[in-house]
Amino acid sequence: MSDKKLFGFTAIFDTPDEIIHAAKSVAGKGYKKFDVNTPYPVHGMDDAMKLPPSKLGYASLVFGLSGTLAAVLLMFWMSAVDYQIVIGGKPFFSFPAYVPVIFEVTVLSAAIATVLTMLIVYFKFPNISHPLHETEYMKKVSLDKYGVCIQADDTLFNEEEVKLFLSEIGGKEIKPIYFDDEEISAVKTVFEPKFIGLLIAVALIVSGTVYFSLNKLMFMTPFNWMMSQEKGIVQEKNNFFADGFGMRKPVEGTISRGEFPYQYKGDPETAGRLLKNPLLPSEVNFNLGKAKFDIYCSPCHGYFGEGDSRLNGQFPNPPSLHSEKASNWSDGRIYHIITEGQNIMPSHARQLSREERWAVVLYIRALQRSLNAKESDLE
Amino acid sequence: MNSSVEYTKKQLPKKLSQVGIALLILGLVLSVAAYILEPVRSAFNNAIMLMFLSSIGVGSLFFVALEYLGGAVWSTPFRRISEFLAAVLLILPIVVLPLLFNLHDLFHWTHLDVVESDKILSGKSGYLNASFFIIRTVAFYAIWILFFVLITRNSYKQDLSGDQKLTAKNIKLSAIFMPLFAITVTFSAIDWLMSLEPHWFSTIFGVYYFSGTVLAGLAAVTFIVVVLNENGYLAKGIIKDHYYSLGALLFAFTNFWAYIAFSQFLLIWYANLPEETVWFLQRWEGSWIAVSLALLLIRFLIPYFGLLSQPSKMNPKRLKTISIVILFAHFLDLYWLIMPTYSRDGFVFGWIEIGFLILTVGLLITVFILRSKNTNMIAIGDPKLKRGLNFRM
Amino acid sequence: MSSTDYTQELSVIVGRPALREIDDIIAKPLETKPDKKYYIALAVTLTMLGIGVVALSLSFYYGTGLWGNNNPVGWGFPIVNFVFWVGIGHAGTLISAILFLFRQKWRNGIARFAEGMTIFAVMTAGMFPLIHVGRPWLAGYLIPYPNQHSLWVNFTSPLLWDVFAVSTYFIVSFIFWYVGLIPDFAALRERTANKIKKVIYSVTSLGWRNSNRHWQHYEMVYLILAGFATPLVLSVHTIVSFDFAVSIIPGWHTTIFPPYFVAGAVFSGFAMVQNVLIFIRKIFNFEHIITVDTLEKMNKIMLLTGMIVGYAYAMEFFMAWYSGVEAEQFTFLNRALGPYAWAYWIMVSCNVLFPQLFWFKKIRRTIPVMFVIAVLINVGMWFERFVITVTSLSRDYLPSSWGYYTPTLTDGAILLGSFGLFFTLLLLFTKTLPVVSIAEVKAVVEGSQPSNGDH
Repeated sequence: MSDKKLFGFTAIFDTPDEIIHAAKSVAGKGYKKFDVNTPYPVHGMDDAMKLPPSKLGYASLVFGLSGTLAAVLLMFWMSAVDYQIVIGGKPFFSFPAYVPVIFEVTVLSAAIATVLTMLIVYFKFPNISHPLHETEYMKKVSLDKYGVCIQADDTLFNEEEVKLFLSEIGGKEIKPIYFDDEEISAVKTVFEPKFIGLLIAVALIVSGTVYFSLNKLMFMTPFNWMMSQEKGIVQEKNNFFADGFGMRKPVEGTISRGEFPYQYKGDPETAGRLLKNPLLPSEVNFNLGKAKFDIYCSPCHGYFGEGDSRLNGQFPNPPSLHSEKASNWSDGRIYHIITEGQNIMPSHARQLSREERWAVVLYIRALQRSLNAKESDLE
Repeated sequence: MNSSVEYTKKQLPKKLSQVGIALLILGLVLSVAAYILEPVRSAFNNAIMLMFLSSIGVGSLFFVALEYLGGAVWSTPFRRISEFLAAVLLILPIVVLPLLFNLHDLFHWTHLDVVESDKILSGKSGYLNASFFIIRTVAFYAIWILFFVLITRNSYKQDLSGDQKLTAKNIKLSAIFMPLFAITVTFSAIDWLMSLEPHWFSTIFGVYYFSGTVLAGLAAVTFIVVVLNENGYLAKGIIKDHYYSLGALLFAFTNFWAYIAFSQFLLIWYANLPEETVWFLQRWEGSWIAVSLALLLIRFLIPYFGLLSQPSKMNPKRLKTISIVILFAHFLDLYWLIMPTYSRDGFVFGWIEIGFLILTVGLLITVFILRSKNTNMIAIGDPKLKRGLNFRM
Repeated sequence: MSSTDYTQELSVIVGRPALREIDDIIAKPLETKPDKKYYIALAVTLTMLGIGVVALSLSFYYGTGLWGNNNPVGWGFPIVNFVFWVGIGHAGTLISAILFLFRQKWRNGIARFAEGMTIFAVMTAGMFPLIHVGRPWLAGYLIPYPNQHSLWVNFTSPLLWDVFAVSTYFIVSFIFWYVGLIPDFAALRERTANKIKKVIYSVTSLGWRNSNRHWQHYEMVYLILAGFATPLVLSVHTIVSFDFAVSIIPGWHTTIFPPYFVAGAVFSGFAMVQNVLIFIRKIFNFEHIITVDTLEKMNKIMLLTGMIVGYAYAMEFFMAWYSGVEAEQFTFLNRALGPYAWAYWIMVSCNVLFPQLFWFKKIRRTIPVMFVIAVLINVGMWFERFVITVTSLSRDYLPSSWGYYTPTLTDGAILLGSFGLFFTLLLLFTKTLPVVSIAEVKAVVEGSQPSNGDH
């Protein structure tokens, strides 16, 4: 196509002094759409081109502080609201301990955001194609020469004037630069199809990998080795033992910690003869006995031991504890009955500790006395 | 010789020396009165003044040595100002004298009856005893003053001769001075500040005082340089590029102070050992909370955000303001370090504190003026001077 | 001895090479096929790496019982190696970021290489926390993502701070390195005739066209990144030191750990950088870009940081006595005189004594001697981490719990493998990317900046 669109004119300069001088002249002449190309940053060029200072610092500040705020809020929510765990005795929101993470997140967000801002806002990434690419001019200014390029869409642009001006300020190899065909029709947005395609591909790959590793890989050999272990688990079938039970009974004769084997099994007579109440009839012991009696004995025996309990009719009533038989039983006999049970009454050894049983005995004795009080008791 | 350097020697205005002397006399009157009326509280204030002046003195000498060792050129045009400030070292022996006769009021470990019955204190009495303490203090001041005299003497000689060998000599002296500086500043801080609470200890304490010292020296020289430059006392050519370096260092060392302070705090808070936390808990009792928070605000937040942006580091007005803030913050820091031992339930502030503050400022101004009388305000013979004035970022 | 003329600025690049020459010299390794020496070097490093891979595979298969870690020394080689490698990475960031902030031009010739070393050192370091958890495939649990267990990570744990610190450090260092590479990719893109390379460089250079409008923002980003990287570097090794210092173990719980570790990191990092640079400058003919002046300055920094480390040793020792805490006093005597005294004295001699030789200018400027001293420094710094970790754990509060730690062959093989990984990555780096920054070196060659001083 012979009818190409003109982008601008370029000129080459040989020394840093020349390019500074050239830049000043171009800016001084009033051109706004021009650029200087150097293989490395030349001191003083920004002022020479009358460029306003870069605003990237604000991006750092804004994104950095957002990172700080986000980190604080997230850690507060996670540790002090959503799942509170006391760690090391410290408060749920222990700010000093959060400072390192806050700092790191701030730096990370500021750094990434600043670079992305530079690329997307200033370098117009991903629309990075430019007429100056693939030109002899670009080869030279990447190596050891310096260049000026005045764009055709500048208001003051006039082809002849510009060519003359560039040679006046010492430019060499003054050449025109044309747009490539594709570049003319390029729509300058971030949503370049190729770029979006790349982003989608990356998203798919990343999510696919994460899904696979967390939901599938973890359950594959050898990563699942600790999940299925060779040891026997109590609630499961276990072929190691003949009866197939994972749970085993303890060996015959095993006693549990704190267990005290009862010596008078099945022998109320001897128990009644030999066992003596070790507890003193103190207020504390009586109160303990009353409390336990009310809980464990009163459902059948009633609150006063008369057998008129609230389970009346549902269970056979026990005989009154104030009968002559009961009153004549020794403390040890009553203790034995509580421990082993008698007739329909079951053993209460599991519900009452030995001390508690003796306290109940004390209380029963008190109850019996209370219904058979003598006049001398009132003194 | 730097013939192309534009510099005219000017004396500092008489008004300034009058102000200095006035503050000095007023301060002396107030502090002597304070000693008579409240000797213990005055001793503590005297200690604050001593450590503040030490910071300015040895911090400034540190700068001079650092410039020689590092070969920096940007600070050469105003190195002489730090040399003047370092002269404060000469009055330290005078300022410390009332305290050396009065260690008993300041330091618990001088109470020998207590030490005898306390296993820990008697364990360290080989270090914490009055005679060794005094010997150490004398030794530290002797070392500081020795190097101050040697280095500045060479610098003054160079004004006349421009001999480059003097720079080489000063580089050697600075190299020897630096490790000695590290040790003497550390133990000076341990002696005068950490041993106020003799059961407490922290290995980073010397570094903490060092960070404050560097900031004090830096802030002092920044303020004076900006003021003098604005009024033509220094050579022509000190511009925003030089200011930027000073501002950047102020910013960097403010961050460094915060880093050291936070490290010390976090580790002690985290491990929660009672023998260590007691020191911080004391500074969180009653009205001390306000002082601790004020320290965070004035020592870190204000200078940090005040010097964050690039333009602010070059702005003379901003530099002057923040320098004064930092100097005040150092005074506050020392107050926070020292006074809780004196008044446990809350901070005390009255005419005594103000009196010693006035005395400190008066001493600084007077020493600076006396030292700079009839002397060049810049190191006119320094071979790096031209490069320094041509320094660009 | 010739006296220095302080009125003249030392030139950073020797001679006054033409800009074109700089391009040629730096790009040469990328445009030529590797020679026999390269293949031999690569074979050596790959063998080391291979040994490490075998040891690691066995460790995954059989479990961490193959290592020496046991009660009471539950932290052994993996932690020591982690701290060692992270420390080495710090020199790179210090050179590229901190020396940039201090406007030290001599960093331009070595910054690219140093940053590369940082990234490779951090990658190597990162292997160790991963493997020492025993089941590295569960490492994702360290990241606070919403999950079906409803669990979050423990933000108060320094081990978690490490996760954030080291990953941030890696990402930011990588970004910093990459941003520095953009103009060089453009230069290579313009130079190359190879079609595939042209496509690659066009993509990686992100369309860079040397426009000063872009240079302006580029320099601002570089300054900002340097400004962030500096406190970041300090924070990373500080957080690593917190792993130890937040505990109550004698010898670990001491407030000076953060600056002490940072100084130590810079110390060992510079030693490693100096060692590698001595080879690089010889092999690739960069002697006029990476000059003896540069090496001397690095040696001075090693002397300074070595003395800071020595200061920290002295402070710890003094405070142990001063504090009156019996356990602390015992720990330090135990380090010097107990069963690990051999490790302690290696550490002290290599870190404190030998670097003192750098006071002498002749030694600072003699390459074989400085090389040996730097190797000793790295040995000493590895032993420092070993002494700190192992002595305090092997003998802490309860004498009945004391025990001696012996590393196993697997431990040693993994350490060897880490060196293999690091040097393999370095060797690959030298042949695929420009190890010296073309643009930055051009900017400091004499005559490259305008001569008028007025603004």
